[in-house]
Amino acid sequence: MSPNRREFLAVTGASLLAGYAGFTGAKPTRAAAQTSSPVSIIKAKSYSDDLVSRILEGVKQCGLDVRGQHVLLKPNLVEFDPRTCINTDVSVVAAAIEAFRSLGAAGVKIGEGPGHRRDTYAIAEMTRYRSEIPQFDALFTDLNRDDVSPIQGFADRGEIYLPNTALRADLIVSLAKMKTHHWAGATLSMKNFFGVVPGSIYGWPKNELHQVGIDLSIVELNRIFRRTFAIVDGIVGMEGNGPIQGTPKPAGVLVMGSDLPAVDATCCRIMGIDPLLVEYLQMAAARGLGNTAESHIEQRGETIRSVRTPFELINNFKQLRLA
Amino acid sequence: MQFLGSQDAKVSAQSRRILSVKDPTAAVRLRQTQNADGGWGYFPGKQSWLEPTFYAAVALAGEPAADRAWILLKSWQGADGGWRPSADVHVPTWATSLCVTLAQSRNEFGEPFQKGVAWLLGSAGIEGPLWQRVLVRTHLFGNPERNLDLKGWPWKPGTASWVEPTSHAIVALKQASAKAPSGKLQERVRIGQAQLLDVRCQDGGWNYGSHAALNVDLVAFPETTGLALIGLQGQPGLGKSIDLAVRMARETPSPLARAWLTIALRLQEAEVPPSAVDLASSPETMIAALSILAEDKVHFFRTGAVT
Repeated sequence: MSPNRREFLAVTGASLLAGYAGFTGAKPTRAAAQTSSPVSIIKAKSYSDDLVSRILEGVKQCGLDVRGQHVLLKPNLVEFDPRTCINTDVSVVAAAIEAFRSLGAAGVKIGEGPGHRRDTYAIAEMTRYRSEIPQFDALFTDLNRDDVSPIQGFADRGEIYLPNTALRADLIVSLAKMKTHHWAGATLSMKNFFGVVPGSIYGWPKNELHQVGIDLSIVELNRIFRRTFAIVDGIVGMEGNGPIQGTPKPAGVLVMGSDLPAVDATCCRIMGIDPLLVEYLQMAAARGLGNTAESHIEQRGETIRSVRTPFELINNFKQLRLA
Repeated sequence: MQFLGSQDAKVSAQSRRILSVKDPTAAVRLRQTQNADGGWGYFPGKQSWLEPTFYAAVALAGEPAADRAWILLKSWQGADGGWRPSADVHVPTWATSLCVTLAQSRNEFGEPFQKGVAWLLGSAGIEGPLWQRVLVRTHLFGNPERNLDLKGWPWKPGTASWVEPTSHAIVALKQASAKAPSGKLQERVRIGQAQLLDVRCQDGGWNYGSHAALNVDLVAFPETTGLALIGLQGQPGLGKSIDLAVRMARETPSPLARAWLTIALRLQEAEVPPSAVDLASSPETMIAALSILAEDKVHFFRTGAVT
């Protein structure tokens, strides 16, 4: 059952050969990733701050235009444990709904397919999504049980079935949680795309992605979904044995941008992790999915130095510590 | 998406302890939401999928709606005997177990049933790549967290064993074994049951696949604990697990977990505690169907011990 985290080399060749009959037509190139990517760091001390204003500020700094677009918010909703902070906080999701509506989006929906627990609505209840987000049931699609379409070319698997709600969105906003991850080092906006893979086919957890390799799967999903924006909830993140059994770690930030590898690399630097040593970020950069080098990221809002909050790492990932 | 439970019902449920899990409107809703092809979606108005169609068909067993559902499901069986999860998804999956169980409940033991059993007998979890399995057996990096010689069933061929698909496969094959005893069936069930027991958590319940990750104990989930107890009917030494299941059934806020735990406790002949969970609060087809099964049709999952 342990994921073959290091196995990606064995399937990289097959993946590169795999044809992508993608739906976006926006296959990335190395050249595309050489331009500088804006990433916004916004301070937010607590979930009772004015998060709508904070999100609007970050979106504006990144130059995102959502007018007339159908936006799908993809929070990180996994399972519930009252002792820690596994999921994207409900107040961030509620604020994002209001922010994108105010920016002229044609529609704002929420979609998620929890990776561990089958009763999605019960998790939504426990995490207060269902009680605190107005009209939650009308806005929400359980991506684990949505209608699906096949997408050709996923690592060595030939095809992957993905939910129509995600495939048809004009823009997917990865509302991720800033967490360490005991298999991948860190889970941020890119890893959050595991939640779009339907449990109705791949199960709970989505073990197919572990068999392909976690790092390669993260990269492949982000290659398929290219119309994306990231808002990472680092107001209170998770350190140590994340993504489930770690400890709450207040970092007091929201990190945003359209280049997801750049957003995740910035989050890593805030967490005291060297993004150039995180396997999926290396792969993403090598394949032209985005920038991870600091010299190719245009930091807006706060500086990394001013918000740096080293997260505790488990022994398996001590080597990722930023010098 | 339509919210099937009313706010009034929710408030009412929270203000009293509920002894029954049955949602009185569930059968009506199921009849109203059957798709034209004979199946049900996970949610009303969505495409038909095997899993909600199976549960709805069992809940409405004996009605024409259930017969139409079975006709649809039979059309989804592949040449290899495995069932695909929907018309558009061409991958055989764990849900084959459900159709094998449904065939038996309908006293249909022809080719679909036999090929389904054969498919399940040929299916087993793969615990990581070969190099990893070999490395684990050297014990150079400590003892593995689970016995890799024991095989359960995967969600999808080519992946690892997990509690839920393993439990469903055990139910299907135990029932098949009762009808047509064979050493091969019995041995496969024994290995599957041993695998389930091997991954039981310290607290007596089941997480979704292992009792630990990176040498850290995992806590049990109520849904998988209920399902494992259904798969392990007739096994000795389940007292701690049943005690936990009783506590979970009382405390879980999940309608799905409440339904599975109720079925499990009834099959294990344990008392089902009251709870405040309102099954009608869920918009899911499956939960509506399970509320009927938990109240009236527990026998559908009855297997006893392996014969």
